[in-house]
Amino acid sequence: MEYYFGILQNIGFHTLLGLSAYLLLLTGQLSMAQVGFFAIGAYASGILTVIYGINIFLALGVGAIIASFFAFLVGFPALRIKGLMLVIATIAFSEIVRLYFFNLRWLVEKDGVEVGPDGAQGFREIRYFAANGWEPSHIVSFIWIVVILVLFALWWLDRVKAGSVLRAVGEDELAAQSSGINLTVVKVSAMTGGGFIAGIAGGLYAHSTTYVDHNSFTILLATFAVAYPILGGLKNVFGTLFAVIFIQGILIEGLRFLGDYRNLLFGLLIILVMNFYPKGLINIPIFNWSKLFKRRDL
Amino acid sequence: MSFGLIDILQSLIDGILFGSIYALIGLGFTLIFGAMEKLNMAYAASSIGGAYVGLGLATLFSLPLFLVFLIGPIAAGLISILVYLVSFRLIPSTNHLGSLMASIGALFFIDEVIIHETQGSPLTFPELGIFAEAYFMLGDLGFRGDLIFIMIFGLISMGVIIYLLYYTRLGLATRAVSQQNVAARLCGIPIHTINISTFVLAGILGGFAGCMAAASVGVISPLLTIPITIKGLIAAVIGGLGSIRGAIIAGLMIGGVENFFLLVRGVNERDIYVFLLLFVFLVLRPNGLFGNEINRD
Amino acid sequence: MLKIKNIGKNFGGVKAVDDLSFNVDKGEIVGLIGPNGSGKSTTINLICGVFPVDFGNISVNEQNISSLPTHERVASGISRTFQNIRLFKDLSVWQNIWVALQQDSDQSSGWMREWFGNSKLQKEKIKEILVFSGLGDRFDDLAGNLSFGEQRRLELARAIASKPKLILLDEPAAGMNSDEVADLRQRILDLKKLGLTVLLVEHVMELVMNVVDRIVVLNFGKKIAEGSPENIQNNKDVQKAYLGGA
Repeated sequence: MEYYFGILQNIGFHTLLGLSAYLLLLTGQLSMAQVGFFAIGAYASGILTVIYGINIFLALGVGAIIASFFAFLVGFPALRIKGLMLVIATIAFSEIVRLYFFNLRWLVEKDGVEVGPDGAQGFREIRYFAANGWEPSHIVSFIWIVVILVLFALWWLDRVKAGSVLRAVGEDELAAQSSGINLTVVKVSAMTGGGFIAGIAGGLYAHSTTYVDHNSFTILLATFAVAYPILGGLKNVFGTLFAVIFIQGILIEGLRFLGDYRNLLFGLLIILVMNFYPKGLINIPIFNWSKLFKRRDL
Repeated sequence: MSFGLIDILQSLIDGILFGSIYALIGLGFTLIFGAMEKLNMAYAASSIGGAYVGLGLATLFSLPLFLVFLIGPIAAGLISILVYLVSFRLIPSTNHLGSLMASIGALFFIDEVIIHETQGSPLTFPELGIFAEAYFMLGDLGFRGDLIFIMIFGLISMGVIIYLLYYTRLGLATRAVSQQNVAARLCGIPIHTINISTFVLAGILGGFAGCMAAASVGVISPLLTIPITIKGLIAAVIGGLGSIRGAIIAGLMIGGVENFFLLVRGVNERDIYVFLLLFVFLVLRPNGLFGNEINRD
Repeated sequence: MLKIKNIGKNFGGVKAVDDLSFNVDKGEIVGLIGPNGSGKSTTINLICGVFPVDFGNISVNEQNISSLPTHERVASGISRTFQNIRLFKDLSVWQNIWVALQQDSDQSSGWMREWFGNSKLQKEKIKEILVFSGLGDRFDDLAGNLSFGEQRRLELARAIASKPKLILLDEPAAGMNSDEVADLRQRILDLKKLGLTVLLVEHVMELVMNVVDRIVVLNFGKKIAEGSPENIQNNKDVQKAYLGGA
């Protein structure tokens, strides 16, 4: 059972990360910074529960707000640069965040034990859940409640004007501006919202694994984050969810017998999908079931 | 921690010399961007991949070790062709995101092949013969022979590429393709041949840089790929995407900055400052040192 | 209502627009014509704020808009269509309108309601605009699936949705056959009936001569003539410019 809980948790974090990148991709911004916001959320909420002994819900919220604040700051320079330049700049941002935590030492003595981030040794003993008697099943349920809330929020976004505006900006910035849309507000809001989602995901990740270090936040993870919505397609949120289940559930867990050959498959999958289904797996004919989720009024 | 002016100068010299490697990788990124307005994210990975193939073949057939430096670049050129075929050839030129993602896919694929083949452990890489032993003193300052060799090679490549691009028919065709893709096709320029030649040329340069990077530290490991990719990209951006001399100058500069901060802030923090340098440029000079206004996705 | 005073724009030493001045009065349809490369599109882009003017200033209803960003110019009553159609192709027809729809100023329901509220209230208004533009039956279709003529109409409908006082039409008849041009002419006259002011950039003289009240002629970024369609047709300078003898 523990094993399946582990997989479910993992799919949960990755879905949240993918959705945070999805929100930005709607506005046409390919951001590799999501893993940076994820790391900020993880460390910030971890520090809050471990060092300051704050309640988990509050810590997750504050962690996400801190992450979204950094996303807000990244959003402004990101306005001036587009496309490929944004990719490079956000890669650099995520690496700066990773290296910052690689160097961060903030040890505090609690009950005779030193706790807190310890540089390259990582941040151990983020044990809020265990200390407060949460069962693994509680943790999984909690994570998935958050995932479902975020999925619902982003699904619902497409039914209100904000969703159309985000997509309009993603399709044609000049036409959107000429229709009276303030690009700065839309893009920075999307970045901030994406940072918030990634921040919550980071907090959940830190608390359910009880240990994070800089190696948890590499460019590979940033690539996963943008790959899910791109592979799944931007038609709706379910593309991202599907891509996460496909990659984390089937490719990485389901094909264990392949050993480390599985790692080759991720790169190969991206190459194949980009060549043959550039608009995402959701457009493959056999996935016509996706019509079930199609918006009635689209 | 105390250091004098000499230490600072020495670290800058070592850094700038080592920066030749970033300059060459940045040059490759910029060449491909100049030809196609696209980024080949797998570029540094194919460079390191080439170095591995060179080392592997030389070990397998007990070849003289200097041949590594010949086979490596050729192999990198061949890997670049493969990358072009799988990540660029079939994807429409308007789909910038598609090629970008596909080349990131290729980056991780190449990296994972290397990890799989070597069980993830670093290998010893041969040094560059007589160049590795050479060490010149100028007053109190020392210059590493192998790094000087790389730098001279980098500057020569820059000269050759500028010559190729601006004084030959091939170069004319390349520039035509990059500026007016459709018009160039209508004029009968075979754009895929042009693109492949650009990839091969960039690949050979990258393969050389990959061998040099490994030779100068004495080991080769897949862990080299990501840092070299990022610093090469930063060199290309700071130099102004598409600018050849910009990439070279920015690459050397990054090497200098990196080594300077290695001296003053230590190995764990130095890269933070290199990456911050990118943001300084993005805010103050978003088009880089020599870049034109770029309004592309 | 639109006053353009001595504006200029250089692109790397080329004077795309050079010391240009003209006015457009309320309720008027003004044609802006000139040979290729005479600076017509640049003028439209300057009025919309796609790039800033180097000199001079542009005002709408006595409000100087020269330094406003594009979206604020839309709010001050300017909207436009594009020479090569720029719709949001992956959005449906009604969503294209929704994106541009400005709320009535008397309806102070707040931005939360506007951006995150139910679409039902606004759908009726959108339907009205689409019916007016002859697209009532394409409400739910994807914009990218419309025919060429329908896409042009949708772009015009989107321009109306932002409640403009002045509409700039950038070569709306390009690529149209004569039936479609006749339909377009009627639609432009309908705009006038609604009390809108129109600045029409066009090559198709069949349309320009039959719809505008007044014409401004550009060549090499300068105004070379201004007057009624009849006057312009008989103007020697204009004939020379079009025959390339200038």
